[in-house]
Amino acid sequence: MSNYTNHKKYEDYEFEDFLSDEFFVQWVKSHSENNLHFWEKWLISNPQKREMVTEAASFVRSIQYKENFEFTDEAYIEVFENILKVDLETPSISSTHSKKEVWYSFFSVRRVAAILLIGFSCWALFETQNFSESEKAPIEWITKVNEAGKKTVIHLNDGTVIHLNSNSKISYPKTFTDSIRVISMEGEAFFDVEKETRPFIVEVNDAKVEVLGTSFNVNSVVEGKLEVALVSGKVKVNDKLGNQVMLDPMEMIVLEDNGKIYKQDFDVRSVTGWKDKYLVFTDDDFDTVVRKIKNWYGVEISTSGKFNTQWAYTGQYFDESLENVLEGIAQTSKIKYKIKGKEVQITH
Amino acid sequence: MNNSPKEQSNCTFIPVKHLETIKVFEKKSDCDIWNAFNKGDEMAFNYLYRTYVHKLFQFGSQYSRDSSLVKDSIQNLFIYLRKKRGSLGEVTNIKGYLFKSIQREIIRNIKSNTSFEGFEENFLESHFQLEVSPEVSFIKNESEDERKIQVQQALNQLTTKQRKAILLFYEEELSYKEIAEIMNFSEVKTARKLIYRALASLKKYIKPTSY
Repeated sequence: MSNYTNHKKYEDYEFEDFLSDEFFVQWVKSHSENNLHFWEKWLISNPQKREMVTEAASFVRSIQYKENFEFTDEAYIEVFENILKVDLETPSISSTHSKKEVWYSFFSVRRVAAILLIGFSCWALFETQNFSESEKAPIEWITKVNEAGKKTVIHLNDGTVIHLNSNSKISYPKTFTDSIRVISMEGEAFFDVEKETRPFIVEVNDAKVEVLGTSFNVNSVVEGKLEVALVSGKVKVNDKLGNQVMLDPMEMIVLEDNGKIYKQDFDVRSVTGWKDKYLVFTDDDFDTVVRKIKNWYGVEISTSGKFNTQWAYTGQYFDESLENVLEGIAQTSKIKYKIKGKEVQITH
Repeated sequence: MNNSPKEQSNCTFIPVKHLETIKVFEKKSDCDIWNAFNKGDEMAFNYLYRTYVHKLFQFGSQYSRDSSLVKDSIQNLFIYLRKKRGSLGEVTNIKGYLFKSIQREIIRNIKSNTSFEGFEENFLESHFQLEVSPEVSFIKNESEDERKIQVQQALNQLTTKQRKAILLFYEEELSYKEIAEIMNFSEVKTARKLIYRALASLKKYIKPTSY
């Protein structure tokens, strides 16, 4: 890791220790494989520090220049061209050998400039383009549907990887347009979006989640409620009323149909564990437990007996059989179960 | 910029090529990128320009509001670096190196343009202003807003050096080592202390009451 003057361990860190730690700031500001791996693991094993870490991270992110000086596109091109012009005016050494090289660089330089210019006009083009306009283009769409009990991993041609949970549906164009990447979904999916300049937009429940390169989970399984949890990168969520919210890593936003919007922390394992075969129950009520098992194993569940509202279950199962999961729940929660093929009976 | 329809139709495939070259460098270390630039790789120059020019302009503008002076300084810096290709030294942190270089170039230009003596001290007073972004307060309640005003007041009381170090550390993500180099400290721990003192004076405002 990095070299500190104070040799405290992270678990003994106080608020200001985090703020003056290079490795911490690096993680908050820009994730890389190195720091992400460490901090995700560290947060899981130090949940008592989560609140402090969140506060410190939000301070780090909040610091910015008071005045912003924009380097205009005109200036960008002008300076670039002026820099290259100097090269052409002063062909340095005049041996026959290097003459050839000058010509070479002449051509490559011009090519660079041309690509850059066209790249720029393109940028201007899709900046002004409206999302809805580009969707109207006749594009061939692919739709994937997962029934209960089935999970799939989809690799898009831009390099983006989507984990689609059971009972979920996703539609995406066969090839993305040059200006934008739009997909639509229902249910739950985890996205690991390939970073590039074309924005990536997920349409779900009339809301839009806009990203550049990032990994996050979208969950619209519960009726009237949409949850977007960001693991790394940056995400912008637009609801149907036009509210726009930026998410920072380790933040989850909940949009309710009644217009309520709020942010909250989340536990990475319980929100995104499903894609790595973790079936996670976190203080779930009986209905939620039943729904999760039905979706996970693709079984029908009938229940009898009374479950009071106090009933709640917490537990994690990695790649377990239906029977082991039910047995695990039964041991701590006084339920009885019977499995007959694709049907499960639970009594209390 | 030329926005003729002809050019627009061109953009269907060319930017992708451009992106690929950027991506190639994104995965490389600063050392490798710098070496490629030093060896005359035009794509490496392209990458450096594209990646750092906006940052250099923002940082440079902290010294001078004269945007053409800052622009010229950036131009001169790149011209100089391109001329020196083949004999450039090793650079492990490009951003830190470019910041230090542009700072030197801008100060030199300001000095030659004005007869203003002792500009460095006086001039800096109003610069490197920092603020707390409004975005952060999204969920928080009103008392949180109040605290934000207090934090802003506390930030205003920091010295120019402290503000500069804090911006370089948090906004620019530079390490203590690079900050020490940009700020001409002979020892890294001076940069560390500077940040630490700044944080100490902000402490009662930024430290959440719950701890």
